[in-house]
Amino acid sequence: MLEIQSARKVFYKGQADEKVALDGLNMSLKTGEFGVVIGSNGAGKSSMLNAISGSLVLDTGKILINGDDVTPMPVHKRAARLARVFQDPMRGTAASMTVAENMLLADLRAKKRTLRPGLNAARLAAYKERLSVLGLGLENRLNTKVELLSGGQRQSLSLIMAVGGSPELLLLDEHTAALDPRTADIVMQATIRTVEALKLTTLMVTHNMQHAVDFGDRVVMLDAGKVRLEIAGDEKTNVTVTDLIGHFSVKTDRMLLAS
Amino acid sequence: MGFFETTLSSFVALIPVTLAQSFILSFVVLGIMIPFRMLSFPDLTSEGAFPLGGCVCGVMLAAGASPLTAIAVALMAGFAAGCCTAFIHLRFRIHSLLAGILIMTMLYSVNLRIMGRSNLSVFGNATVFDWVPGLQAGFPASKIVVAGLISLLVLVLLYLYFKTEKGTAVRAVGSNPDMAEAQGINVWAATIGGIGLAGAFSAGGGALMVQSQGFADVNMGLGILINGLAALMIGEALTGKQTVLRQLAAPFVGAIVYYQLVSLCLAAGMPPPDLKLATGLFVLTMLALPSLKLSRGPAAAKESFRE
Repeated sequence: MLEIQSARKVFYKGQADEKVALDGLNMSLKTGEFGVVIGSNGAGKSSMLNAISGSLVLDTGKILINGDDVTPMPVHKRAARLARVFQDPMRGTAASMTVAENMLLADLRAKKRTLRPGLNAARLAAYKERLSVLGLGLENRLNTKVELLSGGQRQSLSLIMAVGGSPELLLLDEHTAALDPRTADIVMQATIRTVEALKLTTLMVTHNMQHAVDFGDRVVMLDAGKVRLEIAGDEKTNVTVTDLIGHFSVKTDRMLLAS
Repeated sequence: MGFFETTLSSFVALIPVTLAQSFILSFVVLGIMIPFRMLSFPDLTSEGAFPLGGCVCGVMLAAGASPLTAIAVALMAGFAAGCCTAFIHLRFRIHSLLAGILIMTMLYSVNLRIMGRSNLSVFGNATVFDWVPGLQAGFPASKIVVAGLISLLVLVLLYLYFKTEKGTAVRAVGSNPDMAEAQGINVWAATIGGIGLAGAFSAGGGALMVQSQGFADVNMGLGILINGLAALMIGEALTGKQTVLRQLAAPFVGAIVYYQLVSLCLAAGMPPPDLKLATGLFVLTMLALPSLKLSRGPAAAKESFRE
């Protein structure tokens, strides 16, 4: 479904602060699979997501979605195939527009936008129903501007917007990191429920080891722009937070020895 | 008669002329509002697009074109000017204000080239204001009717457009370009089209102005941007900007009130040369007001700079 082939990206090339963000990264995700990506800061997690969504142009390498090479496509073209929930609740929604208008924009993500009126009764009813799944009362605030919602409500809205229309690929970029623990939990539960119900192919970046242990079919640990470790199958089912943190420290030791 | 009676009588006498003028200039205010408010793209192109529209219209009329053709060509020229500003900003990552200043400055030469001289009289040529039945051509009443009807039509069409699927997408680009892009919206196309549309409105205002006053002049746009901003701020203070309709009505309401205020100042004996200083001070006050209200020292002032 998703294939990343020897992706390489270097920032500030040829300068003193040259930084290799992706170093010949190879990774793939099967249809319906839920991948969880972990790794320390600067390991290349965000660069990888940006490369998949198109906001980062690779130096070399390819990105394939369902067998199609999307490497030369700009962000807005790839949007027909993938949806993304950003870490920052402010980034995923249009603040000065209403909840219903935001839902409409997401609804039209993969469709051709016409000169017909955007919001109609049928659409409003559908949005109401989809928002009611969250149990946050957003379904009664369709005409509220998004800037008046709390961070958790905005992020929940982003999630519902992203999963609507069942995208071929769902990218979750530490989407609960900016929320308080209780809200983070609500958003995470909603995520798991919808991903399972719609059988979405999902790639989630997280710093939360418990989430990495509890959710997903496969854990991928990135380090210095490469895949350092992959845990899948039975091993994934039995892995604990301690195991994962252990791998982090192994990596750190290696880094110490290398330096 | 005392001061107040004199002022009042000359103000009242000026109302029809001023109203006609404000309907025409409301298109320029619209051409300023769309970039600033709908696309979050602070833009100065209108200062050049307004005389561009005027010059193009003047030359077309002098060449014997029909008033409507002249306006149509002026609209296209303004659209192209707006597109250029947006393209310079997007492609070369030049700040939108600087991109606007570049286009505005270059347009001065372009306008002179188009006309071949600094002003051109088209007095006596047919205008769109001649077509009102039952009214004598050239009088304020016909200008009020024609410009007022066009304003109303544009307001309704824009409102309907911004409620369509395409229009909602354009508004999303102004609200959050990252999000718009992630929702499959082509940010470049929406920005270039939107700023182009704004340029077309400014040029349309210039074209109507030339048909109204009977001559085109390369300097006719001097200070129009600050006048337009002042009008926009008054309009927004009166209509609010919570909904699309209110935001779209603001330029029209603002233009009408602003030019009546100017007329009142002139009637009260304010020397016309002081007008730009007064307008500038007014805009400054309106911009400074939020930070004065929330006054917590310099920090608050920094906040409102984003406006």
